[in-house]
Amino acid sequence: MSLIEFLGNHTYRMVFFGTMTIGLVAGALGSFAYLRKQSLISDVISHAALPGTLLAFLTAVVVLGADGRNMIALIIGAVIVGTLAVLFANGVTRVSKIRIDTAMAVSLTVFFGGGMLLMRIIANGAFPGKGGIQDYLFGNASVITIADLTTSITVGALALALMLVFWKEFALHTFDPDHSTVLGFRARTIDTLMFATIVIATVIGVKAVGLVLMVAFVVTPPAAARQWTRTLPGMVALSGLFGAVGSGVGAYLSIVLGRVPTGPLIVLTLFAIFLVSLLFSPRRSIITRAISRTRARAALKRELLLASAPAEGALR
Amino acid sequence: MTVTNIVHTAGAPIGTPASPDTALACSTQGLSVAYRAEPVLRSVDFAVPQGVVMGIVGPNGAGKSTLIKAMLGLVRPLTGASEFFGQPLARTRKRVGYMPQSTSVDWDFPTTVLDVVTMGTYGSLGWIRRPGKRERARAVAALEQTGIPDLASRQIGELSGGQRQRVFLARTLVQAPDLYFMDEPFQGIDAKSQQAIVSVLHTLREQGKTVVIVHHDLATVRDYCDHVTLLNRRVVASGPADESFTCENIRTAYEVTAGDDAFLEFAS
Repeated sequence: MSLIEFLGNHTYRMVFFGTMTIGLVAGALGSFAYLRKQSLISDVISHAALPGTLLAFLTAVVVLGADGRNMIALIIGAVIVGTLAVLFANGVTRVSKIRIDTAMAVSLTVFFGGGMLLMRIIANGAFPGKGGIQDYLFGNASVITIADLTTSITVGALALALMLVFWKEFALHTFDPDHSTVLGFRARTIDTLMFATIVIATVIGVKAVGLVLMVAFVVTPPAAARQWTRTLPGMVALSGLFGAVGSGVGAYLSIVLGRVPTGPLIVLTLFAIFLVSLLFSPRRSIITRAISRTRARAALKRELLLASAPAEGALR
Repeated sequence: MTVTNIVHTAGAPIGTPASPDTALACSTQGLSVAYRAEPVLRSVDFAVPQGVVMGIVGPNGAGKSTLIKAMLGLVRPLTGASEFFGQPLARTRKRVGYMPQSTSVDWDFPTTVLDVVTMGTYGSLGWIRRPGKRERARAVAALEQTGIPDLASRQIGELSGGQRQRVFLARTLVQAPDLYFMDEPFQGIDAKSQQAIVSVLHTLREQGKTVVIVHHDLATVRDYCDHVTLLNRRVVASGPADESFTCENIRTAYEVTAGDDAFLEFAS
């Protein structure tokens, strides 16, 4: 299928631009999570978003009598329960000696398990519009509607705007939180703002790419972008670009290959970008680094041998 | 503190300009800090007169960094409160600069030396407002003061230990505070960087600024500091170096027995 043919189709167009929006927002905002070494928070949020979206579905259908697949409802549900999961993980580390990585894994699995249980309950019950909720796991980009796309773009733009407005504070706090505090910027305020952006970056992909793989959208583009850039604005911009391009290409491939879920293919495309960055970036390539290290060691060895040679000669 | 203020001024003869408290750059009373249930600092009283270089000296784990951090609100104290120029920190933030240990940040952060130094101006900018030409010019001036203007566009990951310390010093200088807290500024640096930092210290002293240095090298304490506080979870001695930095006090702070005096030759 040619690109023109591809973009001429309404559904394909929705998939293409929908996933690209998600990739752009998650990639750009993921940079800060990467630099704060908090990338896995996004994994906790996304897994906890499963019960969140399903509770939102139930609330919409049972209580409000509305369409349970409404994107705004899903996002609100995911944000609330995702935040609870992170607070739970933080709480566990605060009151116990359990480390944050363990606490996050506990939180992630228990919320996800609860989500799987809810999913079974919904699947067995008589709820209108329950078809398609299995897609939340791995995503189904072909069900993205214009309304969904508008919601994604609006929410994503909001998060990006937040980042741009508080750019200076985000950069300062990410680099040196103590310095930031002494200068008079309340750490809790900046943490909350940054957390809000990372939650949005994560849940924005609920419907199209699924919850299980969403973390890849937040983690992989920044890791790849870091290889090429020397400044924070450069890293955020390139990470957003990688996210958008990777998502676009992945979405295109998933449609061309037919009946392949979108999320996994995007993740594989993002990984390809990551791999190329790791191997071939000019300053941080693992190949050139290994070569120059070997050369330097060899030179050092020669130098040491030469230096000790005359002394040995004198002994004889 | 207001109460003591009144007492002092009331007792002072007419014509004495300031009460003793306003002549203090910073002070803390009854400061205790505990990590979980383990006490790190016990009822520390600490005061630094304006215009002196105060060294905080003590063995590893004595709570030297913790004292600074607790005073600056980075660690929540169990008891005690601190004042800066007679006021709580929130009111005098702009007059107080903090240079943390350079190992406290990740130097692989994608940014340049000039950008890091410019961060020192963020406090005066406040929320949202961005640094402009003026802030960058100030950052360049601070880099010149620490002797590394040629590193301005360098990636911070490419700096040596001494250069990192000088970048952090420049970031503190750019803020133009009246009181400096420096946590181990001479840690792991080359002779040239050491000289650069010492010359900045001298300039600051000439300008009448107050400097509080966490320092662990007993041999150089007397070179840099007019006042010394010997700390080991509590204050062993504090005051002018001649009075506080004595063999006896060092022995107490470092918990060494009288026979083991090899390293006490630096004492007053």
